[in-house]
Amino acid sequence: MWKSAIGVAALSIIALGATLNAAPRIPAAHPRRAKAVETLPAPVKSYGSSSAPIEMIVFTDYECPSCRALYENTLRPMISDYVASGKVYLVHHDFPLPQHKYGYEAARWSEAAARVGEFANVEAALYDNQDAWGASGDIAKYVSQAMPASDFKKVERLMQGCAFQDQPGTCPLDASIEADRAMGEQIPVRATPTYVIVYKGRRLPAASGAVSWPILKQFFDSLLSQQ
Amino acid sequence: MDALGIVLNWVAEWGFIFVVAGAIAALCIRDLAKRRALVRALLLVGGIVVGSIFLAAAYGKLKPLPGFPWTLASIKTSIALFAIQVESYQVLSPHAANIVAHVLPFTELFLGLWLISGILRRYSALVACIAFCGFMVAIFSAYERGLKIDCGCGVGPAQQAGPGALLRDGGRFLLPALIVTIGAFWIRRTPPAPSAAQTSEQMQTAP
Repeated sequence: MWKSAIGVAALSIIALGATLNAAPRIPAAHPRRAKAVETLPAPVKSYGSSSAPIEMIVFTDYECPSCRALYENTLRPMISDYVASGKVYLVHHDFPLPQHKYGYEAARWSEAAARVGEFANVEAALYDNQDAWGASGDIAKYVSQAMPASDFKKVERLMQGCAFQDQPGTCPLDASIEADRAMGEQIPVRATPTYVIVYKGRRLPAASGAVSWPILKQFFDSLLSQQ
Repeated sequence: MDALGIVLNWVAEWGFIFVVAGAIAALCIRDLAKRRALVRALLLVGGIVVGSIFLAAAYGKLKPLPGFPWTLASIKTSIALFAIQVESYQVLSPHAANIVAHVLPFTELFLGLWLISGILRRYSALVACIAFCGFMVAIFSAYERGLKIDCGCGVGPAQQAGPGALLRDGGRFLLPALIVTIGAFWIRRTPPAPSAAQTSEQMQTAP
């Protein structure tokens, strides 16, 4: 009898140890908030139809000037033209760089916005006002202007406590950003913006830096003319 | 076709060893006739090596993307992709980048064939040196501006524009091209040494 009691106790200790080891090293800042993140739909950080023949996967940092240039000069006209017409499926991935003070926080805001279906508006607002929030750090101001008040309240709830946590991984929203970053490491992303073009399942070599819409459009047209 | 790419890339990347070794050997030889013979052989090999660099570069830019067949449309796609690489240097306008992307691969193809043919080699080698210097200036400029872009060289594996690409272009490409240029001009200016028969003939006819 006492032998089985000792056995049960030993097993309990082992199980407890295993549980403690398996527990995440970064504690969830707020269990209620973590639950709120889980209950919301998965973030949608893409434009267009996933069945489009061309898929463009972009890794960017919201505070990076080249990323803004890519968005303003290339992706924006592309979204209204080739994405709208079903030729291109644009997928955004966060790759905040450590040298940018507010890049990670901006990624969190866009992540939260993506969970309430406001990603496109917030991405546009973040790039349009990059200089302003890059200097002041007041990202919330521009995010709030990009969506209805009711949605912003939801976003704020998701961001509660996160906005002032400097360390990546201290906010429940960070899991998705870190997953994006891990995916970028595999490409590998050496600079932002980096983009990968997939045509009918064939992945082309990754490219980085600026590209104008006429040049990218020419490439897409050429791809689309292939059999 | 890929075998052709492998051979061209191998010669382009490692051929400089033969050219440099030949140049050192030529410098060590004192006998003018023997030196001339060696330089002639060196020019032949050097022309093939430097020509292969340009052919490999043109091949790398024109070859279809992985999974695409060799068709006119796929070559057009490769040129369109090269236009993206040219534009990423942020030096030219989209229109100018597009023109460069359409002209450069065919210019490289022509230059490669010209170098291998041996016709007016001193001029083709000189043009090759100027071209390499131009590429190196572009790479240095991109590196200096902090651009982390693919150099778009087309030779060997993809390389980021930076010290590695500069070192490769300088050591493996520009150096053999310089050797061929100097050798070609030297052989043109240096009169051939009289052979032993000619010397004895001259001695007999002398008063």
